[in-house]
Amino acid sequence: MPVIRLSYRYLEKMVGADRETILAHLPMIGSDIERIEEDHVDVEFFPCRPDLFSVEGVARAMRGFLGRETGLPRYSVMPSGIRFSVDPGLATIRPFLGSAVIRNVSLDEESILSLMGLQEALHWAVGRGRSKVAIGIHDLDAVIPPFHYIAAEKSRAFVPLDFDREMTLDEILDEHPKGRTYAHIVRDFPRYPLIVDARDRVLSFPPIINGELTRVTEGTKNILLDTTGTDERAVATAVDIICTAFADTGAAVQSVTIGERECPSLAPSERIVSSDDASALLGVSLDPKDLSLLLERMRYGAEPAGPSEVRVLVPCYRADIMHDWDIFEDAAIAYGYGNFDAEMPQTYTTGAPHPVMAIYAIAREIFTGLGFQEVLPFTLTNERVLAAKMQRPLKDSVLRVMHPISEEQTVVRTDLLPLLLEMCQLNRHRELPQRLFAVGDVVEGIQTLPRAACVSIHATADFSEAYAVADALARELAVAVSVEESKDPAFIPGRRGTLVCAGREVGVFGEVHPAVLNAWELEHPVAAVEVDLTAVPGYPGQPGTP
Amino acid sequence: MDLSPNEKRLLIVLERVKSADPATLAAEMGVTQEAVIQYAHLLADRGLCTVDREVTTTYTLTEEGKQYARDGLPERQLLGSFGEKIPVQDLTRHPLARIGIGQMKRKGWVVVRGGIVEKTGNDAPGEDELALRDLSRGGPGLTELRRRNLVVEGQETRYRIAITPEGLECARRGLDMSEEVGSLTRDQIISGSWKEVKLRKYSLKAPPRKVYPGKIHPYQRVIGEMREILLCMGFTEIYGGIVQSAFWNFDALFQPQDHPAREMQDTFYLRETMPLPECYGRVRDMHLHGGDTSSTGWGGRWSREKAEQCVLRTHTTSLSIQHLAAHPKPPVKAFCINRVYRREAIDPTHLPEFEQLEGIVMDKGVTFRHLLGFLKEFYHRMGFPGVRFRPGYFPYTEPSVEPEVYVPSLGWVEMGGAGIFRQEVTAPFGITHPVLAWGLGVSRIAMLRLGLSDLRLLYKSDIGWVRETPSWLVGLDTRRGGE
Repeated sequence: MPVIRLSYRYLEKMVGADRETILAHLPMIGSDIERIEEDHVDVEFFPCRPDLFSVEGVARAMRGFLGRETGLPRYSVMPSGIRFSVDPGLATIRPFLGSAVIRNVSLDEESILSLMGLQEALHWAVGRGRSKVAIGIHDLDAVIPPFHYIAAEKSRAFVPLDFDREMTLDEILDEHPKGRTYAHIVRDFPRYPLIVDARDRVLSFPPIINGELTRVTEGTKNILLDTTGTDERAVATAVDIICTAFADTGAAVQSVTIGERECPSLAPSERIVSSDDASALLGVSLDPKDLSLLLERMRYGAEPAGPSEVRVLVPCYRADIMHDWDIFEDAAIAYGYGNFDAEMPQTYTTGAPHPVMAIYAIAREIFTGLGFQEVLPFTLTNERVLAAKMQRPLKDSVLRVMHPISEEQTVVRTDLLPLLLEMCQLNRHRELPQRLFAVGDVVEGIQTLPRAACVSIHATADFSEAYAVADALARELAVAVSVEESKDPAFIPGRRGTLVCAGREVGVFGEVHPAVLNAWELEHPVAAVEVDLTAVPGYPGQPGTP
Repeated sequence: MDLSPNEKRLLIVLERVKSADPATLAAEMGVTQEAVIQYAHLLADRGLCTVDREVTTTYTLTEEGKQYARDGLPERQLLGSFGEKIPVQDLTRHPLARIGIGQMKRKGWVVVRGGIVEKTGNDAPGEDELALRDLSRGGPGLTELRRRNLVVEGQETRYRIAITPEGLECARRGLDMSEEVGSLTRDQIISGSWKEVKLRKYSLKAPPRKVYPGKIHPYQRVIGEMREILLCMGFTEIYGGIVQSAFWNFDALFQPQDHPAREMQDTFYLRETMPLPECYGRVRDMHLHGGDTSSTGWGGRWSREKAEQCVLRTHTTSLSIQHLAAHPKPPVKAFCINRVYRREAIDPTHLPEFEQLEGIVMDKGVTFRHLLGFLKEFYHRMGFPGVRFRPGYFPYTEPSVEPEVYVPSLGWVEMGGAGIFRQEVTAPFGITHPVLAWGLGVSRIAMLRLGLSDLRLLYKSDIGWVRETPSWLVGLDTRRGGE
């Protein structure tokens, strides 16, 4: 989640309250305070609230929450008369464009940093790493309208930000730091998106980098904003959030004509919600007037519109409002989570364990009764553990993860026994005998199957011990088994057995092969048992999908 | 005074002889000298006798030394093997010539001139030869013999054991000589002879032998406690597959297909696919335009292929929503504690697999207040009397809550997340009543309970730690519920 740096000086001025009050209430509007510093606080806001990614946005919400300024913030937008065309060739590349003109900005070092912070956070939260939306901010006075958003030849060249020479678009993707980071978004297209002015000078190569030509400095007075992307709604949201932040600092937002429409409008959207629905969801009785008051504190426009109706004007920057319940949550936040009276419903229910979990619990009881200690090995492991070190072939049904994070964890375990031997290896320095067991899931193909296994390592561990434990397990789990000679290469020939139930192999036991002991660097004999718990009567079968 | 039979027997002998060396006492008692010394020390500890220990240095002939003591030193033997003179080359044939010639020359018994060995007549026995006959003479002769490795120095410890006045008094009072036995036998129990038997008493000062019982892993015990709490609260347990389709893991929970959590950096994707359930179209519509609800949906595109791809479940919520889809009628109270998978590199606080707990309640007329009620009740029973709530964000709940519990050593600690399932999540499955849901990372509580700072120890466990961790988990009182 993006961490937003809020300077106290600026925040106090914008909110009109002291820092203690603000800090006390920040978590109550939905944020995690990361660090409190001398002159600023670093705050993590939820990704659903990109409008809070700037000091201006936080101050706007805080003024409402503290009751200093409630209701819908109104923004007026005059047309700038500037036109912005969109090349139809972009339809399959990066089709959507948003824009605005912002006049009379007064930028200092701090506000430029805040602006860049907002831009970065929006790129992350709304832009999905610039693939969905990318934002460009330009010095309007350095270029001449109208502007054109075009699909350009890859050989076009311009001077990108932080460079002093012209580079072709492909060179930028190869050599510019931002180019290398974001090349994957556009690389495969036959042409690249480009924004140029009336004289064909390059403002920006979205979503990669702006031109040096329109660099924003402390001297910048008028701004041209562009947002481009693949999702129309997200492209518009980014414009609304940036424009309202500027407007709150006193700048004037003007619209740009894109095709037939004016962008942005900064107008709220309207919803009629039911105070009965809100009451039913939250468990407190709210009439339309109560609900309206709560919502006004959350910066909605809200007024009663019937016996149980409230007309809600949702600010343009609230991209997260998709459903009435989103609005009711804000009412709950304004009500104060601490003010709800927690209660328990009266419905009578009985609890019940899941059969597989009940079988696991019984298996644990049997093993501990036999003197075994439980361990909880990882389910992610690798082929060396499952196959090579065990002298076993890797099962065809082994499930591999596509992008393992390390060579140690490339597959999901198909057996427990190898993990138990690994555990013995980890604990070589501990006193013997060690008797360890594990119960848990293994995966074959895409099926999750319950297993139980144990090992006993000490100077006199042998086949008889394994056989006795296997027999006890089968009896206690009420699995009727017969025993046959096993061929499992992890065990010593002549000292291994297979448990067979209803014609199916449901377990293996024996004295672990010395070569396997060598592979695990174990110096004492090991008696081992592994049992397939699907054989236990009452096993419910594979969980189905409804 | 509790004397062992052996101590008593020694005391009785000492009463008679008063003072003796171990050999004498051993002969009297018919035991070894070592045993006598051991019993005497025990008596001495009680002040009943004294054990005087005298260490003396002894000299003993080596095998070679013994031989020379019998036959004479090699040079003496050599000297006696010829007359007044002898050519050197003849003398060297003598088996003792190698040692003897040099010694004879050194001692001035012979001179060698022009290849002829000639006696000087000056061959009186030296100090060394005298010492060889009688080691107790000591002096430079003994030193010389030690240098020649004919004598070795040793130490001899002599004991003198004497009864003390207290010992005498104790012995005169009379000693009970009935036998003590080490173990009670079946015969003694059945025959009643146990009434005459004196069982040896054990010392509590000696530490007991350590045995390690078979036991449930401490982490599993913490999980077991939580499971018990939820079962007691009337919840039904859910269990399901580790492998889930992205549909059940994400789409059914209204996570947009371009959501960052769905990217391969965070999720373990698999090559396998799973068919979609029949109702998938309603989920798709919800994503596209909000279906029949007041929602706008996410817009954009929705790909069937993306939904069919399998993942290792990233949360147990994928099981909860399937349980709800199979049981859409109220009431439903269900929980799940099981392993989930995130694509995280292993370090002390992050693991690619860990346990998650989740509870859901679906019923007519349940509200946000009931959600807070369940959270309070659950955390109280977990041993956290202080619970408070603040707004949270989770993609599939609305409203969302972040519960915090008060931990005396840490202050307010965020403990999981909660909320009411969005209608976008529930509506496609015909669920018409609110679903309260909460979840938490179980390992976090386990670390608090078990005092661990490294998550890895829960899974790659040190057996020593498992053995030493008590089965009865103290620290947080989880058993009393929240009064």
